[in-house]
Amino acid sequence: MGTPKFMSKMRIEKNAKTYSRKKEKMGRSPMSNKFFKNMFKKKESKQQAQSDSSSLKNKSINNHSHDKKLISPDKAKFISLIEKESNNPSDLKTKFITEDYTLFYIENLVDSRVLNKHILPVVLKNPNSSPSELKFQLQIPEANMTENLELAILELFSGAALIHKNGYPTVLLAKINTRESRSLSAPENESQVIGSQVGFNESLSTNESLVRRYIRTPDLYIKKLTVGKISNTTVSILYLKSIASEEMVQTLQQRITDLKIDALLDSSFLAEMIDDNSLSPFPQMLLTERPDRFCDGLLNGKLGILVDGSSMAVICPHSFIEFFQSREDQNLRWPIASFLRLLRFSAVFLSIFLTPLYVAALTFHYEVIPQSLLVPLSESRALVPFPPIIEALLLELIIELLREAGARLPTKVGQTIGIVGGIVIGTAAVQAGITSNILIIIVALSALASFTTPSYMMGNVIRAIRFPIIILAGFWGFYGIMLGFCFLLIHLIKQSSLGTPYTAPFYPPRWVDWRDSIIRLPLPLTNLRPTSSRAKKRKKYEEEPIDPEKS
Amino acid sequence: MIKKLGLVILSLTLLIGGCAEQKLLEKIGLITLAGYDLNEDGKVVTTAVIRQVDQEFQSMVTTSSAVNDSSLGALTEINRKTTKKLMQGQMRITLFGETLATEGIGSFLNTLSKNSSTSSGILLAMTAGNAKELLEYPYKNINDVGQEIYKLIEQNVDAELVTSSTLHEVSQDYYSVGRDMIIPIIERKEEVIEVTGVALFNKDKLVGQLPAKDSFYLLLIRGKFKSGKFETTIPGDIFSSNQSDSSEPVPVVLDTISSTKKLKLTDKNVPEFELQINLNGRILELDAEMDFDNPVEIEKLEKAINQSLTEELKSILDYCQEINSDVFGLGKQYRSQVRNSKLTHESWHAKYPTAKVNIKINFKILRSGVFE
Amino acid sequence: MKNVIHVKPQQMINAFLVFFVVHTTQIGVGIHGFQRIIYQESKQDAWFSVLVIGIVSHVIVIVMIKTLEMYDSHDLYGINREVFGTWIGNFINVIYFFYCSVAFFSVLINYIEVIQTWIFPLLSTWFISATLLLLVIYTFLGGLRVIVGVSFFSFMLAFWLIFVLVFPLQYSDPQSLFPILESKFIDILKGAKAMTFTIIGFEILYIIFPFVKDKKNIRKPVHYGLLVTTLMYLAVILVSLTYFSGEQLSKTIWATLSLFSIVQFPFLERFEFLAVCFWMLIILPNLCLYVWAAHRGLTGMINISAKKFIWLFSCIVLLLTFFIKSRIQINSINNIFGQVAFYIVFIYPLFLYVLALVKKKLTS
Repeated sequence: MGTPKFMSKMRIEKNAKTYSRKKEKMGRSPMSNKFFKNMFKKKESKQQAQSDSSSLKNKSINNHSHDKKLISPDKAKFISLIEKESNNPSDLKTKFITEDYTLFYIENLVDSRVLNKHILPVVLKNPNSSPSELKFQLQIPEANMTENLELAILELFSGAALIHKNGYPTVLLAKINTRESRSLSAPENESQVIGSQVGFNESLSTNESLVRRYIRTPDLYIKKLTVGKISNTTVSILYLKSIASEEMVQTLQQRITDLKIDALLDSSFLAEMIDDNSLSPFPQMLLTERPDRFCDGLLNGKLGILVDGSSMAVICPHSFIEFFQSREDQNLRWPIASFLRLLRFSAVFLSIFLTPLYVAALTFHYEVIPQSLLVPLSESRALVPFPPIIEALLLELIIELLREAGARLPTKVGQTIGIVGGIVIGTAAVQAGITSNILIIIVALSALASFTTPSYMMGNVIRAIRFPIIILAGFWGFYGIMLGFCFLLIHLIKQSSLGTPYTAPFYPPRWVDWRDSIIRLPLPLTNLRPTSSRAKKRKKYEEEPIDPEKS
Repeated sequence: MIKKLGLVILSLTLLIGGCAEQKLLEKIGLITLAGYDLNEDGKVVTTAVIRQVDQEFQSMVTTSSAVNDSSLGALTEINRKTTKKLMQGQMRITLFGETLATEGIGSFLNTLSKNSSTSSGILLAMTAGNAKELLEYPYKNINDVGQEIYKLIEQNVDAELVTSSTLHEVSQDYYSVGRDMIIPIIERKEEVIEVTGVALFNKDKLVGQLPAKDSFYLLLIRGKFKSGKFETTIPGDIFSSNQSDSSEPVPVVLDTISSTKKLKLTDKNVPEFELQINLNGRILELDAEMDFDNPVEIEKLEKAINQSLTEELKSILDYCQEINSDVFGLGKQYRSQVRNSKLTHESWHAKYPTAKVNIKINFKILRSGVFE
Repeated sequence: MKNVIHVKPQQMINAFLVFFVVHTTQIGVGIHGFQRIIYQESKQDAWFSVLVIGIVSHVIVIVMIKTLEMYDSHDLYGINREVFGTWIGNFINVIYFFYCSVAFFSVLINYIEVIQTWIFPLLSTWFISATLLLLVIYTFLGGLRVIVGVSFFSFMLAFWLIFVLVFPLQYSDPQSLFPILESKFIDILKGAKAMTFTIIGFEILYIIFPFVKDKKNIRKPVHYGLLVTTLMYLAVILVSLTYFSGEQLSKTIWATLSLFSIVQFPFLERFEFLAVCFWMLIILPNLCLYVWAAHRGLTGMINISAKKFIWLFSCIVLLLTFFIKSRIQINSINNIFGQVAFYIVFIYPLFLYVLALVKKKLTS
C-alpha cells in the first residue's frame, strides 16, 4: 500500500469529476437538506466503491509516471535535495556513516537509543549491502523503501531516519520515532461509576492498540488517511469489516479526503467539518474519550475515527437519542438502566423548558399558577426590580459564568470558585433583591439537569438553546415556548448523521430499535444492531430466552 | 447566504414588532374573591378581595367595593382605587348577597362563563345577608378572607358536607331543563365564617333555603354522594333492653361507606317517580344500649334508620315542591325517559309540584366499631 | 401516460406512516368546537352523527383507494387530467388547489382566533400568522419526509391529551344522553354533515398516494387512522354531551377547551392555557400537508420551484389574514368552506370513481 496521503491525492486527480458530482450530492452547504438525498443511494455508492478499487489498482501500476520528484542516486545531489526540500532546519542531522551511506534524521523525533544500537552498528557491519538488503538486516519493526522524495521528506518529519546509499535511486526509511505520550488515565469528562476506567490519550498508536485490545479480530479494519496540508495529521477510520456498511465507509472517507484544510489539531474540529449540517448547534457525531464506548459503537456497526494528537475519538453515525445514552447503561440491570435513561431524558426537557416556563407563567399566564404556589411566588418576586425575563437571563448568565470559570481554572481553584460563586452570589443576589429565590432553585435545577447528559458537547447545546427559548417565553409566553419547541422539533427531524436520520429510531419509526432507546430492555431483547447504522449483520447474537433455565 | 441572513433579520425585526401584553405577577392585583350585592336603587354593589404584594415581601389583602350597573363596570370603578391593575384570573370564589340571589343571578353566571380568564372551577356561594358586610368585617383571626372562604367551602365539599358548587356545575344546572341549582350559604358568626345552609333556586332566583345538615339528603338524591357522615334520630322504643324513657328519640351518627341511587319514572302522567337508595355504612355513635350480635336487633335498627331517613327525605321533598325548586333533577329523569317530551323549564315546573316520589331506602349496617 | 408521477425512492414513505398523515390531517382546529355545531342539529344524539360521518369516511376512503389503484402512480391531479382531459382536468385541479389553500387558511385563522380569545387578546393577527408561516416554510422546505415526520411526532407527542378527558369525566352525567335516538334520522344526518369541517383531512390520501412505497399495504393504516380519529371524536363528543347540559353546550364556542378548563394539577391550573399553545403542534401537520397538497397541484400546471412557491404562498396568506378580523367573518368562512368541502371530499370521490370506471370500460 502506498502512503495514505498519496493515495488520496491520486484519487482526487483520478476521479475529479466523480467527486465534484458527489460533493454536490453530499451537499455540505448547510441549508440544503441531505437527510433525504443521502438516504437511499446504495446503487450509486456501490458504483463509487468499484471505481475506487479500480483506481487503487491503476495507481500501483502507474505509480512512477505520476511522481514528480525522485530520489537522486548521487550522494551530494541527494544531500542538497534533502536540505532544499526540508528547508534545512537546525534540528536536521546529516550523518555520514560510511563513504556511501548517509543518514538523515530530525533530532528528538527519532529514538536515539534505537538509532545507536540497532541501526548504526548494522550499517557499519554491512557497508557493502544494498539498501534493499539492508532493509532485512535492520533489527527494527518497520523499514520501507521509497523512490519518492516527497514521501521521504514527509516521513523524515514524522520521525523516520532516512538511509541513503550512493548510487541507488531509492532510500530506506527506518521508522524509529519516539512515542512520547502521557500515560493512560481515567477519562475525566465522561466518568462512570461501573465500567472500565481507562480513557484515550493523545497518541494514535496507543489509542489504536487500546481498541485492538477490546476487539481482537482481524475483522477490525483500520484505514489511515492524512489530513491537513501543513500539519499532515494522521486520521484513522476504524470499523468492523463484516459489519459496517461499505457505503457509509465510502461516504465518510469521501468527506475526510475532501477536506481542504491546512491543519487538524483535534478530532472535534474534524467532526464539525464532516458533519452533515455544520450550521446546526447539535453535534451529529459523538466525541468520546472512552474506548469502551468507542468499541460499543464499532460493534454496533458504526464507524470510528481516531485523530493523531487528539484524545477524543469520533463515532458516527450517531442519532440524537444516543447522545443521552451512557455506556454504563449496559453495565446496569435493565430496570435501573431504563430508569436512568428516562431520568436523563426528562432532565433534558427540564433543563430546556423549566426556566422558560417560569418566565412565561410569571410574565403572561398568572392564571395557571396554583393557589398554593401563588403566595410564595409573588412574595419572592416582590422586591425584584426586573421583569422575569431579565431576571432569568441574568441568573442563567451567572450560572454559565461559574461553569465556564470552573472549566478554565485549575481544578482546585475551580472547585472553590464553584462553591464561592454558588453560595455567595446566590445568597447575595436574593438578599439584594435582584432575583427571587424560587428562580435560583429553578436555574440551579436546570443547570444540574443539563450536566446529566453523558456527552459534554450535547450538554453544552442543551444549555445554550435554553437562552433563545427564555427570550421567546419572555416575549410571548407559552406561545413563544411552543414556537421554540416546534422549531427545535422540525430542526431535529431535518438533521441527519452521515446520511442516516438524526431522530432514529423514532422517526422514521423502527419499532424494534425502540427497545434500546429511552429505555433499555433486557439484553436478550436488544440483540439487534440499530437500523440506522445499516449494519450488514443485523443480529449481535442469537436471541436467548428471556428466562432461561439455569443448569 | 446573504439573502438568507437578510430574511432571518427581516423576520426577527417582524417578530420583535409583535409584542404580547404583559401581566407581570407582581404588577397586578389579583382578585381572589368577588362579592355581589344589590342595593336599594337596584344597582350592583361589587366587593372584591384583592391580593397584592407590597415591598416588604408581604402579601397584602384588601377589600374594596364599588357601585355600578354591571359587575365588570364595578371592577373598573374599584381599579380606580387601587395602585395595581386588577385581574380576575386567580378568582376562586364568587359570593352573591341574599337580595341579589332573590332577584336572579343568571346574568352573572353568563358573564363569568364568557370570560376566558376566569376558570370554570371557581366556587359560588351565597351569603346570608349582605356579601359586603361579611367581607368587610374586620376579622381578628382571619388574614385573607378570600382564602378563608375558599378553604372553608373546599373542605366542606371534600368532606361531602355541602354540594360542590363550581361555576361549571352550577351553570350546568342553570342551563339544563329539569334540575335547579343549589349553592351553599355562608354566614358570619361572630369571628368565624361558617357554612350554614343550602340555597335553593328556581331557574336563577332564590326561592328557599335548607339548613346545612339537610344538604346530606340533597347530595344523596342528586347522586353526588359517595361516602360521608350523617346524623339522624330514631325513636327510642325500638330497643328492648332500653330502660330509659322509651318515647324519647335517640340520635344516631352513621358513616356511609358506599351508596347507590336509582331514580325511575314509573308513571309519566302523574308524574310518579321511584327513588331507591341503598346505603352501606357503619354506626359511629349510638346513645343507647344495643346488642350488635343479635340479627333481629340489627334489623330493627336498620328499619328504624330507614324509616327516619325516608321521613326526612319526604319532608325535604315536600318543601322543595312547595317552593317549586326541582333540585333533585326529577325533570331531568323525566326528560331522559319520556321520548319527545319537548320539556321546557316552564312546562316542567307546572308538573313538578304535583309529582309523586316513592322513596325506598335500604340502609345496611356493616360494622359497628371496635368496641361494644 | 404523461401524468405519471415519477417519485424518487428517497422521497417515498412507508405505508404505515400514512396512518399518522391521515390522522393528523383530520385532527386540527375543528376539534376545538365541533360539539355545539352538531348539537344544534342532533341534540343528545350528536354522537350518532359522529359515528355516521366516521363510517361514511371509511366508505369514501375505500372508493378513493379503488380510484387511485386504477391509475397506478397518479395523484388526484393526474387522474383528473386523465379522466376529463387536460383542460377540464386542469380546471378541476385549480378548484382543488384553491380548496387546499382555503383549508390551510381556515385552519390558520381559526387557530389565531383561539389564541387571541383565550390567551393574548392584544397580540396582533399578522404576528401569529407570520410565526406560524415561518414554521410551515421551514418544514415545507425539508420535503415530504420532514412533513410526515412532523405529523408523526405531532401524533406521538399530543396523543396523551385524550387522557386529560378523564378530569371532566368526573363531572359528567350520563343521564344527558337519554333518551337515545330521540332526534329524527334526518337531524342526525344533518349533524353528520355539519361535522364535515372537522373530519376532513383524509382526502390528503389522493395526493400522497404516489409517494407511498408499498402501495398494496396502504388500506390498513388509512382505515386505522380514520378509526382512531373517529374514536377520538366520539370520546370527545360523549364527554362533552355528558359534561355540559344542553343549552350550556350550545352556548360554548370551544367546548373542548372549556373541558380542559376544569383540569387541575398540583403544579398547574387552567390547563387550557397550555393546551391552546400546545395545539400548535397539532395544527402544524395540518398546515404543512395542505400547503404541500396545494403545491403538488400547482407544479402539475405551472413550473414553479418549491422555494418560490412557499414564499409566495405565505406572503399571500399573510396579506389575507389582515382582512379577517371578526368572529362573524371566520364563522362564515368556516360555514362556506364546510359546505364546499362536503362536496369536494364526500361527493366528488364517488363521482370520480364512477366516471373513471365508465371511462375504463369504454376504452378497453
